[in-house]
Order: sequence, then C-alpha cells, then structure tokens
Amino acid sequence: MILKSVVEKGVGKLTGMRTKTNGARGLLLAMVVAAALVAGAWTSGSRAATTCIKGSGKTITIGASLSLSGDFSADGQAFKRGYQLWVNNVNAHGGLLGCKVALDIVSDASSPAQVATNYQKLISSDHVDLVFGPFSSLLTVPSAKIANRFGYAMIEGAGGAPAVFATGLHNIFDVSLIIKNQLITSAKFFAGLPKSLRPKTAAYPTSNDPFTEPQLPVARAIMEKAGIKTVYANVFPAETTDYTPIASAVATTNADVVMLGSVDVPTVSAFIQAFAQQHYNPKAFIATAGPDQGADFLKAVGSNAEGVMVPNGWYYGYANAQSRAMVKAYVKQFGGRPADINADVAEGYAVGQVAQAAVNATHSLDQKKIISYLHSGITLQSVQGAVKFDSLGENVAAKAFTFQWQNSKPVQILPPGDPNSRKPEFPKRAWK
Amino acid sequence: MIPSRTALGVLGGLVALAILVGFPLAFSNPTTTTIAFFVLIFMIATTAWNAFSGLSGYIALGHAVFFGSGAYALAIGAEKLHLSGGWSVFALVPVSGVVAGVIAVPFGLVALRTRRHTFVVITIAIFFIFQLLAFNLGITGGSSGLQTPTPLWTAVGYNQRFYYVAAAILVLTVAMACGIRYSRFGLQLLAIRDDEDRARGLGVRTRRVKLLAFVASAIPTGMAGGVYAYFLGQIFPQFAFDPLFDISIALMAFFGGLGTLTGPLLGALVLESLQQEFTLNFSAGSLYLIVYGALFLVVILLLPRGVVPTLSSLAPRVREQIRRRAEVPPPPDQARDVA
Amino acid sequence: MGSAYAKAVVDGILTGGVYALMAAGLTLIFGVMDIINIAQGIMVILGAYLSYSLSVHFGMDLFATLIITIPALFVVGVAVEWFFMRRLADRDRTAMSILVTYAVAILIEGGITQVYGVSYLQLHASYVDTSVHIFGFYLPYIYLYGFALAIVLLGALYAVLYLTRFGQSLRAALQDRRAAELIGIDVDRVRTITFGIGIAVTAAGGMVFGATNSFNPNSGYDLISRLLTIVILGGLGSIGGALVAALFMLVLEDVVAVAWSPVWSTLVFFAVLVVVLTVRPEGLFGRAATRAQ
Repeated sequence: MILKSVVEKGVGKLTGMRTKTNGARGLLLAMVVAAALVAGAWTSGSRAATTCIKGSGKTITIGASLSLSGDFSADGQAFKRGYQLWVNNVNAHGGLLGCKVALDIVSDASSPAQVATNYQKLISSDHVDLVFGPFSSLLTVPSAKIANRFGYAMIEGAGGAPAVFATGLHNIFDVSLIIKNQLITSAKFFAGLPKSLRPKTAAYPTSNDPFTEPQLPVARAIMEKAGIKTVYANVFPAETTDYTPIASAVATTNADVVMLGSVDVPTVSAFIQAFAQQHYNPKAFIATAGPDQGADFLKAVGSNAEGVMVPNGWYYGYANAQSRAMVKAYVKQFGGRPADINADVAEGYAVGQVAQAAVNATHSLDQKKIISYLHSGITLQSVQGAVKFDSLGENVAAKAFTFQWQNSKPVQILPPGDPNSRKPEFPKRAWK
Repeated sequence: MIPSRTALGVLGGLVALAILVGFPLAFSNPTTTTIAFFVLIFMIATTAWNAFSGLSGYIALGHAVFFGSGAYALAIGAEKLHLSGGWSVFALVPVSGVVAGVIAVPFGLVALRTRRHTFVVITIAIFFIFQLLAFNLGITGGSSGLQTPTPLWTAVGYNQRFYYVAAAILVLTVAMACGIRYSRFGLQLLAIRDDEDRARGLGVRTRRVKLLAFVASAIPTGMAGGVYAYFLGQIFPQFAFDPLFDISIALMAFFGGLGTLTGPLLGALVLESLQQEFTLNFSAGSLYLIVYGALFLVVILLLPRGVVPTLSSLAPRVREQIRRRAEVPPPPDQARDVA
Repeated sequence: MGSAYAKAVVDGILTGGVYALMAAGLTLIFGVMDIINIAQGIMVILGAYLSYSLSVHFGMDLFATLIITIPALFVVGVAVEWFFMRRLADRDRTAMSILVTYAVAILIEGGITQVYGVSYLQLHASYVDTSVHIFGFYLPYIYLYGFALAIVLLGALYAVLYLTRFGQSLRAALQDRRAAELIGIDVDRVRTITFGIGIAVTAAGGMVFGATNSFNPNSGYDLISRLLTIVILGGLGSIGGALVAALFMLVLEDVVAVAWSPVWSTLVFFAVLVVVLTVRPEGLFGRAATRAQ
C-alpha cells in the first residue's frame, strides 16, 4: 500500500499536481522520518576506538546509562553527579594513564528495553573504553549480559539485589555494601541491648521489591532469636500511592521497633506522616532507603527526620580522607550543605575509583586484565571504605554502618565498636 | 496503464519482505540491530492488536497480559526444563503463544460481554490483576522476577538470531492479519465495529466472532513476549506487564491507521525507532520530554486519522488527476492546419 | 481486631473523598465528550505543584491557593480543549483522544520537570501532620478538611449540573449529542467549558493529594488507572457515582489490607470491579447504554 502511494505520488509530481493536501503532508513526514532513521542508522556506525597512549591527546571515554527521567530519576541524577565529580578529580590529577577522561551518559528513562539499547550503543557504536553500571538492580542484569558478551567489565554501585548475582556472570562488580546484610548491624544492636532496655515487639513492613525484601528476613531472624516478637510482617505493593491504611495497621500493633523496607523517600515520608497523625511513636524507626538521600529526605519530612535510622555504606561525615575531599568538591561544584549529599553520589564516585585503580594497576584498558585484577582478591580503597570482590562480584569488605538523623544531620551510630560511632538516640524523640 | 491493486499489493509485500530479510545484512551494527529487534517486537504486537481492536472497534488496553504471560511462560519453561542458552530455548516461543491464547479465552469471555468504555476499563483491570499476580505468586519469582538462560553465542551475529526469529513471527502475524482482513470473518468484525446490534440482527454470531479474533490476537503477542524475555535476559513483573506497553501499541496502531494492514507496521517502525533514537541521543537533557510530547502532538494533529488512511485517500485523487489529463483534447492549432 | 477494621473503613472513607475530587472532573469529561483523558493524572500533579509554589513563595495557606489554582487550571483545560481536542473528528474520537491526551500529558510532565526538577515534594501545613482524637481514632485534619472540600465541590458541581441552564445544556449533550444540537445548544461551547470545569476541579484534588503524598512529575501515571476505574465503576457522567465508587474502592482495599494483606487489596478491588462491570456494564449509577450514536 505504501509502495503504491509512493508510486502514485511520484506520478502526481511528474504531472505537475500540487501536493498541498493533508495526505501528502503525511507522506512527506513519513519519508522524512524514514530518511532520518536510515541516516541515524548510518551515522551511529563505527567511531574509531580510542585506546589511550600517554601524551597522544586522546580521550578515554566511559559510558553509562542512567535513569535521568522516570521512576528512578532522583537517584539517577545523584549518580550522574557522583560520576562527574570523580571524572573532574581524575582529570585534575593528570587523567587516567595520562589521558583525559570523558563521560558518555545516556538516559534510559528507567526502562529495561532502553537500557539494553543504550549499552549496545555505548559499546558497539561509541566504542567506549569502560562502562559503568546503571541505577537499580532492575536494570543491571540486561546491561551486564550485554557487557559480558562484548567482554566488558561492569563496575556498578547500585545493582546489588541477590537476583543480580544469581546470573553467574563474572564481569559484574558491585562496589557497594551487600544488600542482604544491610540491616544486620542494627538488628544486632537491638538484640544486644540489656533486657530492661530491649524492645519487646517489632514490625517489618516492606515494599515488594528485590532490593528490600531480602533484607528483612535476615534482620528478623536475629531479633526473634533475642526474644523480640514479630507483630507485623506484611509486604505492600511497590506501586502503592496511599500508604495510610498500611501505616495505620502497623500503628495499631504498637510495635517498639519498626524496620521499614523502602526504596525511596516518598514511602518513608508517607509512613512517618501517618505515624505522626496516629500519635504512634515507636522507640526506633529504621528504613532501608530514603533517609540516606540527604536533602531530599530532609525536605520531605522536616523536623520529623529526628531519630530516623538508615543503614548504608557511607554518609557525609565519614572519617575517610578520600570521602572528605569528595564532599568538599561536591559542595564547591553543586552548593548546599555536606549533610545534603545523597548517598548515591558516593556510590557513583566509588565506582569510578575502583575502575581507576584497576586501570592503573594493569596499565591498560584491557577488559580481561581489569576483570581478573578485580577478581584477584585485592583490597582497594574508595570513598565508601574498603572494596574487595568475591567470585560473584560482591563487595565483601564493605562495612555496614547505621546512621541516625540527629539535629537535621545524619550521624554514624553503629557499629558500636567503631571509633566514629556516636551515641544512638534510643528511644527516639516523638514525632511532632 | 495502472496496475491492479492486488498486483501492486503483492509487489509491495515482496519488496517489504526483501527489506526485512536484508536489513541486518546491510546494517550490521549491533545498536541498529537491537533497535530493529525491538521494532519487530512492536510490529508483531501492534499488528496482532490491530487485527482485533482495529477491526472490531473494541479498544483493548490489556494486551500486555498476553505479552507478559508469554514472557513468563518462556522463562518458567526454560527454568523447569533446565534449558541452557541456545537455539533450544526458541522452541518455547510457540508455547508462549499457546499460553497467551489459552488465557485469552476466559479473559475474552468475561470482557467481551461489555462494550466501549466499559470494555476498555475492564481490560485495564484484568491487566492489573495479572501484574499483581506476577508480583505475588511464588512461581513467577515475585518482585525479583525471573531470568532466562544466557546463550553462549559470540557478540557477532548475536542480535541477528533474535531478529530473524522475530521476523519469522512477524511474517506469520501479518499473514494472519491479512487472512482475517480479507475474509468473511474480517467483514463480520467490521460489521460489528459499525453497528453490533444490527450485525447480530443480520445473523452474525457476534460473541463467537469477537472471541475468536481476541484469541487470535493474543497468540502472536504472547510469542513476541517470549522472544523479548529471552533477548533481555531477565523479566520483572512491572516490565513484563507494563501499562506503557498497552498504550504504545494502541498509539502505534492509531498513528499508522486503525484497521489497516500496513498501518501498524508503519506505526511501530516510526514510533519505536524514533523513541529509541530520541532517548539515545537527546534524553540526557531534561527538555527531552517537552520536545517528545510536542512532536507527538504536532504529528497527531497533522494526521488525525493515521498515516495510511490519509495516504489511501490521496490515491483516488491522484488517479482522477491522471485520468483527466489523459482526456485533454489536442490543441486546436493542429486540427486547423489540416485544412 | 474489630478496631482495626473500623479504622480501615474510616481511612477508606476519608481517602476516598480525595480520590473522588480527582475523579469528578474525569467523569464529566468522559461522559460528555467521549474523551478518555489520560492527562488527568498529570493535571492532578500540576495542581499540586501550583499549590506548592504558591504556598512556598507567597506563604499562602493551602486551601487559599485554590482561589488561584482552580481558575488557572480552568484556563489550562479550556486551552487544551481548544487547541487539541477540537481537531479530533467525531469518528474514532475516543480512540484518538487517548493519543492526544497522552501527548499532552508528556508535554506537561516535561514542562513540570523543567521547572521543578525531579525531587519529591510535599505540601506542608500545620494541619497536615496533626489529627483529632474522636472515638478512639486519630483522624488527620487534612483528610477531614479534604473530605469536606470534596463534598462542597462535588455539591457545587451537582448544583451547576442540575440548577443552571448551562448544566441543562451539558446534560442534554451528555444524553444525546445530535438532539442537543438540533434544539440549538452550542455543543462545541458546552464541550470546551465542560473540559475546563473538569480540569479546574482537579486542582482541588491535586492540592489535597499533594498534602497527603509525596509527589514528583512522574507520579501522574500511577493515578490515572485508578481514576479511570473509579469513573467507570461509578458510571460515566455521574458525579455522585464517582463519589460512591471512590469510597467503595478505598474502603474495600483498606479492609482487605487488614483482613488479608496489602499486596492483595488492589487485586481484590480489580476482581470485584470486573464482576460488577460484567453484571452492570454501565457502572453503579450510569445510564444504560442506548444504541451507539
């Protein structure tokens, strides 16, 4: 049908017919679009590979797909800042292997089909030298499989759900804390309190998400062993828009401790708001994600942030020289207070550092060498602390800290033995 | 002499087939073949959807049920049969289609009792039921989703294998759509679209016809879902059962021209590749959404009936012009000179 | 346990009011114009953002912001109808409206993202976190005010529909478009104003939504499917139906969340919806379908 119309339009043109009709406009549009597509297909073809030779003036390009719009956009943007900060730092200190580093970031709008195309493009069309991971465990697997096919290492900081490591791929390296173990430190804290202070009951509401769900059973096992009774353990849908009934149900149980499996700020703030409305004040409230997002969290909950805990591998006041330098650079470039910094920034930065260490150690951009170096059991340093990968690519050297918001600032409170841990506020101050 | 419609149609079909087969050979860049693969998947889904919704007038916004069911069928099948990556997994694709078809029967029996707006919303409701089931049942892996086996093929030619499987499914789907469209069955569907009560009064077994078309549209969609799941390597409930998928195939069919044969193909080609290219090259900025939406609006308003119907309405006019010019009498001077 | 159920019912009623506010405009638009307004979700969010700006930059009380946001969204609605909806041919109107309103929704989402960014926001006021203690329940003030607002606005809409000449024209156009034209009703004008009113009411829904949920430009998509189901369940064009359906939906979900588990509550709702619609396709208060126009 299209062919016929094209032929007849051609005939029409030959016989001098004017083509100002609606249909002709449409055909023209379709042809322009088709031409653009073909042109796009042609031009997205090979760009010369850029392997760095010292002093040659070439640039090392690092490709990554991030969620700059869509569901994960807040985190994606934070990751972008983290990658950028690292690049700026590297370039300020002579670059990588003597060459300047540049980022090639594409947005995946939080969609797995798009993320597949993106990494395909970065690797096969842009011929990037290294790839960094996307944000979220939901997008990591398709990306890693593509990277693996082309022999690329995939160093990432936000794809740590057990599902990711079940793939059996050897090229995945997650620089951040192993997700399953995040709540262990705080669970041990509650379980280890003297009988008189120990909480009697606990509630474990969680979102239906591969990031949160694996964490709670681990914590629950520890707490139950210490005699802390479980009074609520329901899962709620990830797409819930109205948390009031769920929060009400938790409030009715009057649990002493609430461990909330959340992935973002809105979930946590909705629970806090509902708890405040119900005049329900648990002795402790810890959420798996949300309170680690700095200013985003504070803006949403205001003074009710007081006493809220969150496990994480990093916070702005971390007593680590590299971290302090990064925080300074962040404030200089983006403004705001150090306490406003989203923890995702540090994760992104750490990804860059690990890549940098591997490249420097192997003096090359050879993916095979980088992969075997990272799997060699060596311990690296990053803004999030020590990094050492096991055979699955998990970071077994990451320490699980727990932070608590005190006076509008996140403060490290656990593990108790750590010299930088301050006193936890327990029981926490009542909501306003 | 202008060749007959059928002859041109067949010629057009052969040319299209040649392009379909030759495309990955001419453009072997993996990025292009990846986008081409996704385009094919949407072509299949849109053609199948259009064969039902376009002809019957019942706008179904729940076909992601079939897509997702097909995806999960393949993933679960591969897991239970302990398949390792390779050609053997493709054998599960027809199973995906059958599963989707089977699901379409109760789905259709319930939903097709309603009409127009109610039908639209019921399809949405059943879609959400399936998505929630995928989230909560053990066999679907819950929120962690399921993985499909990883084939050990090398990077060269990797995408092409998926491309050709999808192309084969597409050819079958278009053949099916063509068969429906140009048969008595298709006429019955069109009659239902125009006036269902009258159609029933004239003896069309509307319930049976609608259900048959519904199931027929489900099968290719399920197969597309299966291949898609295998290509990506992992499926999650919210992506296998994605409301945006439903909207997308409806949009593509409308854009190309509802009820036409080539409309869905054109719509899928243009919208999917445009969207991917756009996101790929321009989305790092935040103006992306504004431009995308504005572009969309401009296009829709220029072509309110879709591309293909607008083109088809052009054809008779052109024919008329040609005919009129052919009848122009010779200039008077020549006739006078004879005397 | 009984108190948990009672609490669930109360929560459902209060939240249902908010959803009724958001859905009321949609049922009008759907009923009168045969338009499936996919952009309804983003309009709610737009209302929330406007209220946010007014309250943060000018210190206005949240309810006071409505004095500005409601007319503002009326203008937006009229503009959208004038520029985009008018062009749609009568045939395939419903189908094409999905396309157009989706594009409009993307456009607005892009605009909001450009201005406000992607961080989550929430509307704050003294009555947002506080509650009143009645019969052993803590009822948050914002929900009570929101419910009251819903009743007032829906009542006003109802009054417009049944007590004014414009409302009469609207109902006539709803019942039979061609006949309405024949007796001299300017159906185009009725349509434009209806669309405007539909979006204007949504501003109120947006403000209450924004006070009870965190939102960002992406939040509109989760809302639209719920709003569509409320509207169909209640019956197209029926304001009262939208209210009843919203209450029913939220109460059912909240009760199931207590009785069973939150993950099943939405599923049960949709299953019930399917059953209701197959038995009574026109919805609870809708008009039985006459032959297609």
